[in-house]
Amino acid sequence: MGKKKNRNVGIIGIGQTEYSSHKEDQNQVEMVNEAVRYALEDAKITLDDIDCVIHGNMELFEMIHQPDLWHSLGSGAFGKEQLRITTGGTTGASLVCAADNLVASGMYDVVMAIGLEKLQEGHTTGGITNMADPLWFRHLQTGALTATTATMMMEEFGEDRAKRAAMKYRIMIDKHACLNPRAHRRFGLEYDQAEDLMNTSPQLVGELRLIHMCSQSDGACVMIFASEKKAKELSDKPVWIRDHITAHREETFNCFGLDMPEMTHHYAARTLFGRNGITDPVDYFDVFEMYDPSAWWGLDWLRQFLLLEGDEHIRMLEEDEFDLDGKLPVNPSGGVIASNPIGATAMLRPAEAAMQIRGDAGPQQIKKEVKHALASGFGGTMWTVLMMLEKDLDW
Amino acid sequence: MAEYFGSKVEDIFNTMEERFLPEGTQDVDVVIGYNVSGEGGGYWKATIKEGTLKVETLDSEPADCTVVLNATAETFVGVTLGKSDAGEALSSGDLRVDGDLTILISVLPKAFRPFTPIVRASSIVESMAERFRPDKAEGVDIKIGYDLAGDDGGAWTIVVKDQTCTIKEGLDDDCTVTMIMDAKVFVDLNLGKIDGAAAFTSGQVKLDGDIAAAGLSAKLFAKFEAEGSSEIQGEELISLKCVPSINQRYATGPLMGKWFSGLKDGKFYASTCPKCGRTMVPPREICANCRVRADGFVEVGPEATVTLIDVVHYASPDPLTGKIRQTPYTALFMVLDGCSRDESFAHDLNPKDINDIKPGMKVRPVWAEKRTGTYKDLLYFEIAD
Repeated sequence: MGKKKNRNVGIIGIGQTEYSSHKEDQNQVEMVNEAVRYALEDAKITLDDIDCVIHGNMELFEMIHQPDLWHSLGSGAFGKEQLRITTGGTTGASLVCAADNLVASGMYDVVMAIGLEKLQEGHTTGGITNMADPLWFRHLQTGALTATTATMMMEEFGEDRAKRAAMKYRIMIDKHACLNPRAHRRFGLEYDQAEDLMNTSPQLVGELRLIHMCSQSDGACVMIFASEKKAKELSDKPVWIRDHITAHREETFNCFGLDMPEMTHHYAARTLFGRNGITDPVDYFDVFEMYDPSAWWGLDWLRQFLLLEGDEHIRMLEEDEFDLDGKLPVNPSGGVIASNPIGATAMLRPAEAAMQIRGDAGPQQIKKEVKHALASGFGGTMWTVLMMLEKDLDW
Repeated sequence: MAEYFGSKVEDIFNTMEERFLPEGTQDVDVVIGYNVSGEGGGYWKATIKEGTLKVETLDSEPADCTVVLNATAETFVGVTLGKSDAGEALSSGDLRVDGDLTILISVLPKAFRPFTPIVRASSIVESMAERFRPDKAEGVDIKIGYDLAGDDGGAWTIVVKDQTCTIKEGLDDDCTVTMIMDAKVFVDLNLGKIDGAAAFTSGQVKLDGDIAAAGLSAKLFAKFEAEGSSEIQGEELISLKCVPSINQRYATGPLMGKWFSGLKDGKFYASTCPKCGRTMVPPREICANCRVRADGFVEVGPEATVTLIDVVHYASPDPLTGKIRQTPYTALFMVLDGCSRDESFAHDLNPKDINDIKPGMKVRPVWAEKRTGTYKDLLYFEIAD
């Protein structure tokens, strides 16, 4: 499927700020600037080498209608060709897709993409609630909080097993996050706390408890992309974008009927793997950086994305197969549950996956060699981005 | 007693009465229990009722409370002072609330001024070594005694000699001057709340020994600054706050217009796809699967089969009124009779059925008496018996 592209595209630079609930001492311009500097240093290039800058955040959360007016100052994009992208939760992943498309098409040789959010300056749940469909559902919406998946999993696998599995996923993610020096929430949870947390963590909606849910974070991520020729000239270890798919199939929140439609995550995975000849994703991929807004969703979505059946995903979790030394490590970075600067969140997935392939992810680096990585983005009803990254240009 | 971030757990309760805001609690009637574990912890109970406050120290775990807050002493003080993040403490389980968390969130900010650390005489005395200014002490050889009465009092001797300063507990016999006062007066003097000359004049401060040495001592030390105040003076972090209120108006279009006028008549209308025959509710203009205009209508319901139930505990603002929603409330997903099996519809559940509702149950709509063609025409669904 590499053939579909006009030319190959490599990731040659990655920069991230630390993530936290408050960055009182930085404004958006400075936060963007920090990540841009790290990415340029990482790529060992300067702004002069950048042909186009794409930036994205969920501007409605902070309620600034033209964030580019600020961000051009922080990024150095002033006078350069620019694009701005806002697609909700998937914004960061959409930025990566757009950068790949722009470079692959031959439009630009080197593109810098910037994803950021300063949620401290807004209110995510208030924003999502206030921007729900005004004609029907706004009166019901509570941000991105719902226990529908928890309820369905308890029905399918039994209440006790499902609750334990969700909490095990949560604690595993925290253990990964504790390794990542940039992660926002690092609690130091232990598996023997599971029982207590299952019963005492405050309920948000049904069995979706506060401990299960993702954070609201401040932070920025920047990635630099180059054509194959340029990437080989500029970088010692470019990571190649093999293919990606963006799918959005739900028309409204009408997907909880008596018969359930195929989930968009499943559709996206089936289609992407199908056209790339991948029959066993668990076997093929060495790491999966998944957009996991809550422990329940994270666990459930593993089944969808990895095309698993029955309780295979729960068994793999129970057998520690998603740990850093497991069969398919999931979210070594701590994922979205640990750090969630929304406009950057979905970009962190391919960024962290690419660092795993480069072998310089830091303390959360997987010990065995990472050659094939999978990254996902999620937003809104079920807007899904799924992306494959490769160490070698050999597919 | 253990201190955390410079404060004791009991400080928070001891200052509750002075921090209480009667005007913010006229319509409040709650009993908040506190179960603070670890060194310096204990049990307390705060009863807030119609603008009055009663704080009690208890011997055992608080009972008969509207809501009980459980935390370690360090977490409790940290969250109160804003040194620890409350959301994260709740997530990690270091802070646990039995009962309705939203009561705490809605009542506490209206009921109390924020707690600020109590400055203690001992910490002021201990800071004198750091505040000592050797350049002002050339040739000075004195001993200053402090004899401070009260719970937080004590006795200290400050020795200034050879341009150095040492602090000893207890009063030496040969102090150049000893200053005798209540510990609280000492703190207020250092915080600039009361004037030194006036305190001396009024007899709040007594001096034993060389009065001139007392005057000199003021020059030997830099001004005491309570924790946090120097940071604020050094670099104030300025941010702007705003709460926008925006009037919005959305066109329904003909299909949702039909839906809302149907609600007015107590009827549900679904649009139908001419190709695959599926129903869509609330109606949509296009069948996305077949990519054709969905121009037919069919009346569906009024009863429905429940598929999923979301009991919401998180109190978010209602975007249609701006008020914090009453929790818990229930959002129902259901399939209206006559609809395609994969087409769910969502609405509120009658609060009376919250404990009885189960997936698979039949529910029926309850309509508002006066209907005007809005979502409010449909009050909620309830279990159909």
